[in-house]
Amino acid sequence: MKNRLKVLRAERNWTQADLAEKLEVSRQTINAIEKGKFDPSLPLAFKISRLFTMAIEDIFQDEAE
Amino acid sequence: MGKILDAIACKGLPARDIRNANLVNLWIFAWAVTLAVISLLSKYEWYSSLLPISIGFVINTGLALGVIFAYKRFLKDLDEMERQIQLESLALSVGVTFAGFSSYSILDQADVLPDLNPAYLIALMSLTYMAGLIIGRIRYR
Repeated sequence: MKNRLKVLRAERNWTQADLAEKLEVSRQTINAIEKGKFDPSLPLAFKISRLFTMAIEDIFQDEAE
Repeated sequence: MGKILDAIACKGLPARDIRNANLVNLWIFAWAVTLAVISLLSKYEWYSSLLPISIGFVINTGLALGVIFAYKRFLKDLDEMERQIQLESLALSVGVTFAGFSSYSILDQADVLPDLNPAYLIALMSLTYMAGLIIGRIRYR
């Protein structure tokens, strides 16, 4: 699954550690999501969408599309 | 090499997860110590009566249950990617142990290999679990 997490984070001048703290996950998890190595759970995806006040589909895109 | 060391040290986990992991390690340590002490005591004749055996059994089983509940809590609170790595490692460990045990038992029945020591199974499970953790942590980084 592709995502815009790195771009959205950079727009806010947040480090991976900052974002990890806001989402209560490890920095490694943020890194893996940004690299597309790990797909977040639905609760975490909702948390990310609330944090960036954006719809989930505007942050995450299915690679099949 | 740095990647492997980071993977072993589970670097970057939230403080809550490290605290829970340390709790699991303490329970495992206590369980292992009682198992070793009971194994040692079983060599003495006075230990063969029912009362000390029952006490040893209850203490060791209680600590084993403590390990299970502490690990369950650790998994429940764990960072979600690390939880996936842990579950994949457990699956690998159980799978390898089943396969290893069944293959060994075939050779054991044919008297090709000596009788299976249960300690080998525990060692095999532990080693494959640790290998699974390291592989998973490297793969997701």
